[in-house]
Amino acid sequence: MNPAVHLDGITKRFPGVVANDDVDLAVERGSVHALLGENGAGKTTLMNVLYGLYRPTEGRVVIDGEPRSFDSPRDAINAGVGMIHQHFMLVEPMRIWENVVLGNEPTEWYGLRVDEDAAREAVRELSARYGFDVDPDARVEDVSVGVQQRVEILKALYRGADILILDEPTAVLTPQEVEDLYDVFEELTDQGKTIIFISHKLSEATHAADEITVLRNGKNVGTVDTDDVTSEQLAEMMVGREVLMERSAATEPPGDVVLDVEGLVAEDDRGVEVVSGVSAQVREGEVFGIAGVDGNGQSQLIESITGLRTPTAGTVSFHGEDLDDVSRRERIDRGMAYIPEDRQARGLVMEYDLTQNAVLGSQHDDEFTDGPRLDWDRAASHAESVIKQYDVRPPDRDATAESFSGGNQQKFIVGREFERDPDLVVATHPTRGVDIGSTEFIHDRLTELRSEGKAVLLVSSKLDEVQALSDRLAVMHDGEFTGVVDPTTVTEEQLGLLMAGETLDDDTVDHVGVGDDGRPTETAADEEVSA
Amino acid sequence: MRNPLSAVEIPVVDRFLGDGYVRNVVVMTFGSLALLALFGALFPESVAGDLSGAVFTGGMVAATARISAPIVLAALGGIFAEKSGVINIGLEGLLIISAFTSIYVAYVLGDAGILTGGNAQFVGFFAGVLASVLLAFVFGVVCIEYKADQIIAGLAVWLIALGLAPFLSTVFFGSVNTPGVGNIGWQYSAALVAVGTVVAWWTLDHTAFGTHLKAAGENPRALDTVGVSVSKIRHAGVILSGVFAGAGGSLLALGVGRFGGSGETMVQGKGFIAIVVYLFGNYNPLGALGAGTLFASLDALQTRLQQLGYGIPSSLVETIPYVVVIIVLAFVGRTRIPSAAGDHYETEE
Repeated sequence: MNPAVHLDGITKRFPGVVANDDVDLAVERGSVHALLGENGAGKTTLMNVLYGLYRPTEGRVVIDGEPRSFDSPRDAINAGVGMIHQHFMLVEPMRIWENVVLGNEPTEWYGLRVDEDAAREAVRELSARYGFDVDPDARVEDVSVGVQQRVEILKALYRGADILILDEPTAVLTPQEVEDLYDVFEELTDQGKTIIFISHKLSEATHAADEITVLRNGKNVGTVDTDDVTSEQLAEMMVGREVLMERSAATEPPGDVVLDVEGLVAEDDRGVEVVSGVSAQVREGEVFGIAGVDGNGQSQLIESITGLRTPTAGTVSFHGEDLDDVSRRERIDRGMAYIPEDRQARGLVMEYDLTQNAVLGSQHDDEFTDGPRLDWDRAASHAESVIKQYDVRPPDRDATAESFSGGNQQKFIVGREFERDPDLVVATHPTRGVDIGSTEFIHDRLTELRSEGKAVLLVSSKLDEVQALSDRLAVMHDGEFTGVVDPTTVTEEQLGLLMAGETLDDDTVDHVGVGDDGRPTETAADEEVSA
Repeated sequence: MRNPLSAVEIPVVDRFLGDGYVRNVVVMTFGSLALLALFGALFPESVAGDLSGAVFTGGMVAATARISAPIVLAALGGIFAEKSGVINIGLEGLLIISAFTSIYVAYVLGDAGILTGGNAQFVGFFAGVLASVLLAFVFGVVCIEYKADQIIAGLAVWLIALGLAPFLSTVFFGSVNTPGVGNIGWQYSAALVAVGTVVAWWTLDHTAFGTHLKAAGENPRALDTVGVSVSKIRHAGVILSGVFAGAGGSLLALGVGRFGGSGETMVQGKGFIAIVVYLFGNYNPLGALGAGTLFASLDALQTRLQQLGYGIPSSLVETIPYVVVIIVLAFVGRTRIPSAAGDHYETEE
């Protein structure tokens, strides 16, 4: 039997770049195939070739044993290939059934009327067949992201897709929705559909796929059966070397307190209290980590510290001085660097080039000003040095921020913030959406900063990351720290309990000498000195 | 700002106006008229009596129909353009150019003895629509193909028409005002407003084209990925705005029988009121009909009241639509602007 999809020696060149280099890929009917690779490995380009968005420079696309040439997505749809993009292509104010049939509306009265009943029925029937539980009359803007994704899948199925391509389908989903998506995969493949999904997360590929193809630098590194491969082997295939999340302990004992947060209470934009009395101290030469499931008040806590949100109670002190009336600008000037959670909304101006982005936050500095005007020459050379030191690719300071991949945008922000020579770095999800290579790089830089005696406040929802980097680790749940623990001795289970809001018995975990108020006790500091 | 009438269930109205806000606009307009009629009948000697005497006359209906034609039709056109993602603030210009062209063509035909009277006016009407469509098409090309700023281009459409029409009139007739060609009955205006509203409503809500149009204005990429050309749909939206505004402009001029080109021309900002009207009507054709009729009747009433000796300054009445729209947009906040309106769209590859 012919494979459902056979990509035969696909090469795709863009001016100056080879995105795909002689890639072969065969996917059996009724199977789930994961396309795994780092950002920029050529996964999406390859799928865009299959979906007819790009024409391959060389090679051919064979569907069900028949060579095809697609000029547009419409041709691909006609051949039974449907794609679910990472950013949904839905019209939010419209109803679900309207979105599903968009562009292929069933009509009556010689095309003068959309046959709403037929459309609704078609959606209901498809939805029932695959166990989707979708209300055709609901408006897209009113349903959850998980349901929106199903609407996208329904759109493809409605157009007769047998082969579904999903681009990073889990990126926007909650863990529960991810599980539901895997169920949907099963239901679809049971009924003979073929699924290819793009991912850069190992766990997803091994969990959901039957076979995995790893791409690296545009080349197919290998296709493996999920049952015959370990995560370590896959990781090695992805990066071409072994990745080890190795803990690098602080060599020097921590110094003076840089950041002192006491009894901080903050509300979210709706006026609901989401940070309920958090206290913490971050010292010179230490990484203070905050772990926890997203949405437990981490964002508001960090915004209160960096000056983007006004806390309702409590104090934030920096080098012993109360920051209550200190503006955001003044906080930057005093040496507080900030890697924001949402890099596109807060870290960069997407329409600006890198030179302009490089001086954001330091536009008042003498370094970049010449009287009332900005010194663009110095800004340019600064941007150049950030690009070089932090390996931003492509190294083009005149390109707009939006033209860079997420990983490179992040490296640029990290570089800009670190180059401020800060006393404190507040890093929120510094490696979110970043490929393994860049992640390692960012981790190394954070560790270096610590060795230089800087204080680091790190927030991440990746447990292995906070655990590997932090010297002390707080777990946040429902606006409070459920515990501050020693990341070297705490177990996964204990962290899981803390993240779920439980507290631990004092004997079960070494509390790194944390007082009841979450501050390190004097003895704790002494212990670390002696250790 | 809750409409006290919104609690009343009105079977026929509710059937067609599911949207509570639009329903309120319509119910408010016709509800206040009904109240006025009631009080007028009960107390014929009072101000209400005077008012209802003024409102419920044939002259008042005719005047309202004539004034509402350019406002409502241009608003319907504006809905098509903006729903597709192109903000057309050049409606005023489209009204001016069609008003002039319809009279010019009707006059030339009559003068040359080719067609006379009603036939000349009939051809003039379509000539006016054609002129408006051509100008709208140029606007569309500039905005969609060359990605010009829609607001600037829209202002250009207005300013070009504002200068061109009186200029051409002066060239051809020696005066900014054209000679008369005889006026048509108000029934034509009323009929076209009614037909136009129904056609626009049906097209937007019940045809595949209407769905595509709305998708182009909300999330063009969604439309593009299912294989429908966004720029074609947007061109269609802009051209339809030309058709509707052109019909409105022609009706305005032919209703009077001549084109007046002094000052801000005989159009007198009706194209801008049309924008207010469709915002007020929340992009719903029936809402636009309600709001347009309301403003047109206020305008007609003001003229009528001056005839009756109530000295209401016309400039004060003219501000009413704008005051209303500010109140509506600021305090009611129910108007939902299409997400991608004003944005250019570029297909991938």
